[in-house]
Amino acid sequence: MHTIDHYAYGNALRRVDPAQKGGLTVLAIILCLLLDRPTVGLVTLGWMFALTALWARVPSHVFGRTLLAEGLFLILSVMGVAISVSLNPPEIHRIVWHIGGLWVSTDHEAIRVAYHLFTRALGCAAALNFLILTTPLTDLIELMRRLYVPETLIELMTLIYRTIFVLLESMQRMALAQAVRLGYSSPGRALRSTALLGSQLFLDAYRRSRRMQTALKSRGIEGTLRMLPLEYVYDRRAWWVGATLGVSLVVVGIL
Amino acid sequence: MSRTHRWLIVAIGALALVLLEGRPAYAMHIMEGFLPPLWAAFWFAVAIPFWVIGFRRVNRLMTEKPETRMLLGLVGAFAFVLSALKIPSVTGSSSHPTGTGLGAILFGPAVMSILGTIVLLFQALLLAHGGLTTLGANAVAMAIVGPLVAWGIWYGLKDRISIWVAVFCAAAIANLTTYVVTSLQLALAYPDPTGGFTAAFIKFGTIFAVTQVPLAISEGILTVLIFNALQTNAETELMALDVLKGA
Repeated sequence: MHTIDHYAYGNALRRVDPAQKGGLTVLAIILCLLLDRPTVGLVTLGWMFALTALWARVPSHVFGRTLLAEGLFLILSVMGVAISVSLNPPEIHRIVWHIGGLWVSTDHEAIRVAYHLFTRALGCAAALNFLILTTPLTDLIELMRRLYVPETLIELMTLIYRTIFVLLESMQRMALAQAVRLGYSSPGRALRSTALLGSQLFLDAYRRSRRMQTALKSRGIEGTLRMLPLEYVYDRRAWWVGATLGVSLVVVGIL
Repeated sequence: MSRTHRWLIVAIGALALVLLEGRPAYAMHIMEGFLPPLWAAFWFAVAIPFWVIGFRRVNRLMTEKPETRMLLGLVGAFAFVLSALKIPSVTGSSSHPTGTGLGAILFGPAVMSILGTIVLLFQALLLAHGGLTTLGANAVAMAIVGPLVAWGIWYGLKDRISIWVAVFCAAAIANLTTYVVTSLQLALAYPDPTGGFTAAFIKFGTIFAVTQVPLAISEGILTVLIFNALQTNAETELMALDVLKGA
């Protein structure tokens, strides 16, 4: 989490308008889903890797590691699509294993669907990775504000985002303090320590909210919290990138 | 040892690694791009009425009682951080609590539908777990149905049996429910070629059940322990939360 947040704040595209980066991502995801072809997914993956590594200058291993975690999870998920399990021997499937009392089977069609799904989801995930590795959440919240997401939600999200890291640090300190006192030395003890950690974290969150409320009140808060909007750079190249991306995906999808 | 034999062992080892060790922490999130566009849209449509109800409640709370603004912000962050907490599972591995049970008991299902969705959105944007097009489906499982089930069980049982049993049942069953709903969503989108929807549902359900039943029990125990600790340490704070539930 810190890695993604770190690069989101410090990449070459940091100042570019989030609407442009968001637009690129949404375009790629929509085309991936609608064209629904393995090559489109793979081409999107290539595009997004190039954009993240070359344009935004995020180290390629960061992009790779994020994608690897997603890829491993995807393999597990698509296996459920590729393999059928039944109590009776299947009639239509060609490749069959008989394990215990179960018939595990698959065929070329099921594997094709799974491969389809794998590439499509990987392409979409790569597009999302491009967005989250180049755009901090504060910018995305600002983008949502422009997209007419209700002010209440915007404010709630801003508050949550800004306090996550405070609470996380507090949790890590508590967990460390417990660990050095052998609080996690056995599973039973670990469960007890985790529960204590959870409840203390809740108390911490609650007390912080009271303190913040008091601090804001003493400074005369009236209704909403206001943040200064950032100044964004409007990058003309993003249009060209978007157009080429769109055309290349459509061409690959139709051919 | 023959060549194929060796490859078989390597393949099985790699598979075991993926299944057991590399199992991602947020295994129940449906990934970006995994659902076909129609199903993604369908689950958004299902979620919208609940979001409207939750949003109205949150909006009213924030205008009527300004101090709930900070409270909601902090408990939202708490929910996010809690989901990053590792819990030791009965099987020896460790995973993360869904937090739906605790959230529903503490904040009520209406507020949970909004807070839970924001947590899911943040998980997609900060941790690359889940996705934007699948946010509707994930929200239905984890921010809407799970909390509703937990709330229903807790509300129905808390005055009849020991409160710990009620908390355990609410948290454990809510955890399982999120998985059942996710399996249902996957089975509807990808029915099995041999057995159709039912076979697919059982199949996806089994994939999750292997890891999930022990985790549900762990989450149940953990929630009871947290609730216990909260009752001894934070009674006044818990009373203040009744504001969120409208009790």
